[in-house]
Amino acid sequence: MHATASNVVSAEQSAEAARNAKDSRNDVLFGWILKACALLVLLALVGAAASTLWLGQDAFRTFGWGFLTSATWDPSNDQYGALVPVMGTVGTAMIALVVAVPISFGIALFLTEIAPQWLRGPVSSAIELLAGIPSIIYGMWGLFIFAPFVAEHIKPWLMNNFSADPPDGKVSLLVVKLPWIAKFFSSEYAFFGAGVLTAGLVLAVMIIPFISSVMREVFQTVPTRLKESAYALGSSTWEVVWDIVVPYTRTAVIGGVFLGLGRALGETMAVAFVLGNTFKFSWSFLETGSSIASTIANQFGEAQGLQKSALMALAFLLFVVTFIVLLIARLMLRRMATKEGR
Amino acid sequence: MTNMNDVVSQPGFGTSPHASGVDLGQVPAKMTVRDLNFYYNEFHALKNIAMDVPEKKVTAIIGPSGCGKSTLLRIFNRIYAIYPGLRAQGEIVLDGENILDPKYSMNRLRSKVGMVFQKPVPFPMTIFENVAYGIRHHEKLSRQKMEERVEQALRGAALWDEVKDKLRQSALGLSGGQQQRLCIARGIALKPEVLLLDEPTSALDPIATSRIEQLVEELKKDFTIVIVTHNMQQAARCSDMTAFMYMGELIEFDRTEKIFTKPDKKQTEDYITGRFG
Amino acid sequence: MSSALYTSRRVKNVLAMIFSVIATGIGLLFLAWILWETLSQGISALKPQLFTKITAYREEGGLANAMVGSLILNTLGILIATPIGVAAGTWLAEYSRRSRLGPTIRFLNDILLSAPSIVLGLFVYTIVVLPSKYLTDGAVTFSGVAGGIALALIALPVIVRTTDEMLRLVPGTLREAALSLGVPQWKLTLQILVRSARSGIVTGVLLALARISGETAPLLFTAFGNNFMTFNPLDKMPSLPQIIYEYTKDPSPDINVLAWAGAFVLTMFVLALSLIARFVFSRSKVSHD
Repeated sequence: MHATASNVVSAEQSAEAARNAKDSRNDVLFGWILKACALLVLLALVGAAASTLWLGQDAFRTFGWGFLTSATWDPSNDQYGALVPVMGTVGTAMIALVVAVPISFGIALFLTEIAPQWLRGPVSSAIELLAGIPSIIYGMWGLFIFAPFVAEHIKPWLMNNFSADPPDGKVSLLVVKLPWIAKFFSSEYAFFGAGVLTAGLVLAVMIIPFISSVMREVFQTVPTRLKESAYALGSSTWEVVWDIVVPYTRTAVIGGVFLGLGRALGETMAVAFVLGNTFKFSWSFLETGSSIASTIANQFGEAQGLQKSALMALAFLLFVVTFIVLLIARLMLRRMATKEGR
Repeated sequence: MTNMNDVVSQPGFGTSPHASGVDLGQVPAKMTVRDLNFYYNEFHALKNIAMDVPEKKVTAIIGPSGCGKSTLLRIFNRIYAIYPGLRAQGEIVLDGENILDPKYSMNRLRSKVGMVFQKPVPFPMTIFENVAYGIRHHEKLSRQKMEERVEQALRGAALWDEVKDKLRQSALGLSGGQQQRLCIARGIALKPEVLLLDEPTSALDPIATSRIEQLVEELKKDFTIVIVTHNMQQAARCSDMTAFMYMGELIEFDRTEKIFTKPDKKQTEDYITGRFG
Repeated sequence: MSSALYTSRRVKNVLAMIFSVIATGIGLLFLAWILWETLSQGISALKPQLFTKITAYREEGGLANAMVGSLILNTLGILIATPIGVAAGTWLAEYSRRSRLGPTIRFLNDILLSAPSIVLGLFVYTIVVLPSKYLTDGAVTFSGVAGGIALALIALPVIVRTTDEMLRLVPGTLREAALSLGVPQWKLTLQILVRSARSGIVTGVLLALARISGETAPLLFTAFGNNFMTFNPLDKMPSLPQIIYEYTKDPSPDINVLAWAGAFVLTMFVLALSLIARFVFSRSKVSHD
């Protein structure tokens, strides 16, 4: 009897041991599968950088550092320099930031401090809706609607006031006194809506929802007691925002701005139609130009040999620059999150 | 044996050769804790704990918050091991085997020692599945056998009459008290030998609390129960033995009656009478 | 003295309020403007043949092949990205606690989220289109599969992030409760944690779908485009955004009109998706308590 009983026990135990082994084996296997999937994220980033660098190496070798400083982009002579697309990319993104940051700040201020409670939900949903519109729609709207609007209303006014060759023929006093200003406002085709300014404005509209939603979120993290104690001292809403909310959230706000910048730098479709796609170097906001992304979109399909490699090299530059910008953005946002104890 | 000296020199351990300093009389110890130390990274959270948990009795652990009472409970089924940086040293002997031995199988431990948590945590499944889920991992049962087991567990947790007509509904729809009894049913469905209750009523209203306390009284016929509570009346009402902990040390461990009427230690008395804590 | 100070402070405050209201007005104005143009230009261009004829007929045709292509490409993208993204998000939330790799990948995922999609398209061109061209002697070059993979790369970080966030909202006690029953980690993860975070994860997938439905740039050099109807994922495949891109660039105003019609369909689809995602998410919040 005793023997059988202990046999049963040991059988039970060995079955249990087997199940244990199976469980832990499955657990380890499952963990590895999940980890492999997570590593794909890493692989995507490394792969994107490596593949563009690999296929762009011909261009980098052929032109060396000159690739970065040359303003020539001439497929017929197989000469390629990145300066014009890089300037176009940076220029449009800067215009976008200059316009979008204050507007986004205003929106975030409105949504966190000013608007009555019932209005906040609908307005913030509406602003977020802007982020949901596909970028190709921005591009279409930019080309068919906004560029003509710029040509008709914005550009003539700017040229009349700031260019050396105004459509109304009267050079403004400002340009007479400070002739260097005119350099930024010249335009070969005065009645053409496409250009760096137009593209920058379209980008601004695109990134407003990103920046404003980050700002709104971080403004909301400011402890109520902090704001209340300022109000208790008799501060006005603006003083509370400027003296308490903004300093408290500064890093995250900058993070949000960089996030918007990252978006603006990498955007293709919204600027592809409204930039003009020309490769002549110019300092003017009103002149046509090109950006890295729009150049790739327009030329890669038909490109061969060195041109293809030059486009890949451009893509590598774009990727590295946006990576750095987004890295800064995320680091700043994370610093804020750590401060919040999240 | 040097460790033994340490234990004896701890406050709370008198002259008795028995490490816990308590004469359990006829009741055998189900679980014996020896030289137990516990660390959160560098922080020494539990210091030289030693106690005998008597079989088929209710043992309550009381003490001010942060004293380590929940930590101790969470070592009894090694649930702490899912978090990095936590480690336990010493031994906890359950039926002659040290459960802290890495070779001691997790499945075996978890089927022998059940646990109920502070807040009711029903799984996002039907009431029936909530109870059957754990069983399925340990045993292959026929449909009919499974239904019997689930019913038995729900009856054991005094929940059957309330849920028998809605076994296929989501457990998330039950009241807090019902959810907690469901969690007890889920725990006892595995037929464990020890049941750990970690402040099981702290999230419940007084009526639900008294139902759980009645249930604990019932359950001790079949299970060895260890209950952590911040509520001294609760410990006095439903436990046989009470351990008082303070700052990671076991100050005193004795029959509940004794702890609440004439404790040996001044610290225990101060806590019981509400002078600190 | 102090009354002058009060006045200047009040004036500053009022100016700030006015500025903030104007800024919000500008944001809303542009939203309304873009939506209005898309709606009005799009609706007037709507006609039944959009949904029945293909782009090969140009002005006389429709967008049927582009819509079918978009459907196939998006489905492929989501089918590839969802299992990988949910798995990766689960690893971040549940398994990476003990490793330093976890926070790094979480951080890089956030960067991938805003990485330029055209570069991701070129990456897929390099690793899928070029090899398939060499391996099949040019029989398969640009393909629906390549397009699907490119879209999956864009959907991936969205799904990873929502899965990670949603799982981290699942109370830790649920894990402890299951583990204390002796349930192994993988079962706990699949049967309890992912299930309780289900509606949040579905939201993430819907948002990812909305995001990739509007993507053009990564498709240009992967799926490429096609003026005929195709169901073969190894074929060059058209998509609505890509056709809109081509038709917008086209000098013929009649073709531009078709682009507006496509823009209308696309915008409605994407906005409807984000509304549904929001609805699913708001319901998930209710059922959590």
